[in-house]
Amino acid sequence: MDDQFKKWAPKFIVVGIFLSPLLLISPKTYITLTISGLAMGMLLFLVASGFSLIFGFLSVLNLAHGALFTWGAYIGFSAFTLMNKWTGWGGSDSIFSNIAIFLLALIVAGLLVAILGIITERLVIRPVYGSHLFQIFITVGAMTVMEELIRIVWGPNDEVMPVPLSFMGSWDLFDVVVSKYPLIAIIIGFILYLAIFTILKKTKLGTIVRAGVENPEMVQVMGHNIYRYFTGVFAVGSALAAIGGGMWATFVKSIHPAMGGEVIIFALIVAIIGGLGSMTGSVVGALLVGLSYNYVAYLVPKAALGITMLLLVIILSIRPTGLFPEGT
Amino acid sequence: MNPVQQFRSTEKKARFRSPSFFLRIILLAFFIFTPLLFRSFEVLDVVLKIIIFSALVASYDVILGYTGIVSLGHVLYFGIGSYFVGIFMGKLGWISYSHLALSFLIAIVISGILSVLIGLFSLRIRAIFFAMVTLAFMEFAFILSSQLRSITGGDDGISFKLPGILAVDYNLGRFLGIEFTGRMVSYYLILIVSVILFLLMLRFVHSPVGRVLQSIRDNEPRSIALGYRTYLFQVIASSFASCIAAVTGGCYAIWVCYVSPDSSLNVSIMVDVLLMVIVGGMGTLYGSIYGAAFLMITRAFLPKLQVLIASILPGVPMATRLSERWLFYFGLLFIIIVYFFPKGIVGTVQEFFSRKKNN
Repeated sequence: MDDQFKKWAPKFIVVGIFLSPLLLISPKTYITLTISGLAMGMLLFLVASGFSLIFGFLSVLNLAHGALFTWGAYIGFSAFTLMNKWTGWGGSDSIFSNIAIFLLALIVAGLLVAILGIITERLVIRPVYGSHLFQIFITVGAMTVMEELIRIVWGPNDEVMPVPLSFMGSWDLFDVVVSKYPLIAIIIGFILYLAIFTILKKTKLGTIVRAGVENPEMVQVMGHNIYRYFTGVFAVGSALAAIGGGMWATFVKSIHPAMGGEVIIFALIVAIIGGLGSMTGSVVGALLVGLSYNYVAYLVPKAALGITMLLLVIILSIRPTGLFPEGT
Repeated sequence: MNPVQQFRSTEKKARFRSPSFFLRIILLAFFIFTPLLFRSFEVLDVVLKIIIFSALVASYDVILGYTGIVSLGHVLYFGIGSYFVGIFMGKLGWISYSHLALSFLIAIVISGILSVLIGLFSLRIRAIFFAMVTLAFMEFAFILSSQLRSITGGDDGISFKLPGILAVDYNLGRFLGIEFTGRMVSYYLILIVSVILFLLMLRFVHSPVGRVLQSIRDNEPRSIALGYRTYLFQVIASSFASCIAAVTGGCYAIWVCYVSPDSSLNVSIMVDVLLMVIVGGMGTLYGSIYGAAFLMITRAFLPKLQVLIASILPGVPMATRLSERWLFYFGLLFIIIVYFFPKGIVGTVQEFFSRKKNN
């Protein structure tokens, strides 16, 4: 009896905390807020997972991640606008062509930013593996350069992000307002999480990468070029940042060159809360941050950011290595 | 006499004869005579910003170069310092010397407490967490300062007047053909404060505590084995540097008579400080002066360069766009310096001379 209670108590506490806003918010608003919180969480997960992946596997604190995120948003924007000009899929009524053009834009953004990530890793980060101090300097430099490149290429002003026609508006399910885009974001985020998790845990590739973290020399002895895998992980992390950027831009419907810096702070907090290098940790951390942010933003708008910092402080004082420290 | 004492006594004897000592005296003399030599406000402004940022960068160097931990939120304390002066002088309108001193005191105390708290819960596990947590806190403070309109004035910031002889329009009268204004009084006040801060920091890094900090930087496991609680020493260094940063922030607010999130809490200031440290060289307090001078002077000349480029290449939009984005070149410079001169200007020059001496 007592053991059972101990086993389930933490879960009840977590569920209780997330149901507690029901005391202050009406159930219908609560569901709407929960959905937008989950969507925000999934978008944060995309950014944070790339950051966390790179830190966990390469032990590189990549402060240029925010710039890669912005690049993803801008390339997604350009790809969407161009393809919409050719095909007109973005403005059509058919939900399939809407989804097709959206996914295509995301894929283009992901691929191009992955290439950018590979270039960055090869040119800039590879010479400073192992020294956190120089990594921080170099990635700050890379961040500045990439952000300024955006201002040179696309200009320094805000742009309006085009949104496919059928993504706008909301459904009305039993008097509960459910916006369409957040649901799509949740689904895409969850699929990506499952994909990364499976690759890391179930395939040979994932095993090699995880082994490379534990003991790089041994993996090299086995005949695998570890640096090639590191470049690959960096490319995947960059692509995740880019997809996150494109989806975030569609979520807030605007892009500007400094957007990466604002979101990267959330990603940092999520990655620390979840445990650096842990995918499950990133998901849990991102959902925690997204949900609590949305509830508090509805109740006390000014304290929304404060709750995120409070979460960070509480979790770091209870579990200094994050919620899932083992890199799972 | 043990080797350490021997080394110290030879160092003490050579102290007043080394070329770098004369260089320092010349620099100080330059700072003292600048307002008398140059009549234009622009020059004075650049020189004063060099002075303030030298102190700020030196305080950052105490954490980075002497203790070996990376903070990315050092500008937070700079912002706290300037915001307290701004709120006391501007929002509350308590324009008097005692309230100015009080605002500095409160800023120092709050910075100290905050940095101890941040250090206590983020330095405990891995030093790398400290970098991320401090960055998060700085961004938090930045957003807070632009949201709390009733206290901080939001994005517009607060502009304020200073008491008595520090006020911009105050005139002391002419002396030896030179007009002494409130600007000059605040220039000298800030110079004196910065020199005191600099001496304090020198004393700190050469004190027994400072030696322990350097041993932690060079070999942490060994200092733990010697019985030092390295984590407490790191917290001490970080809070000391934060208090200094708060004072420099207050000085900056006194000079520009204005605070806003962009002018005193932005991440871009942090990037500037990092660049100054890198240019000047880590672990050399004096290097911060050269780093700050380099960046501030380039900053001051860049607009003129921009005009020049626009006049040479008229009608080429890409050229003007490229010349506008000077931060881009700073970023490139950043990477290049980290690659080729990881010790910075002062570090590289020192290495050059010591190699010459040995040959």
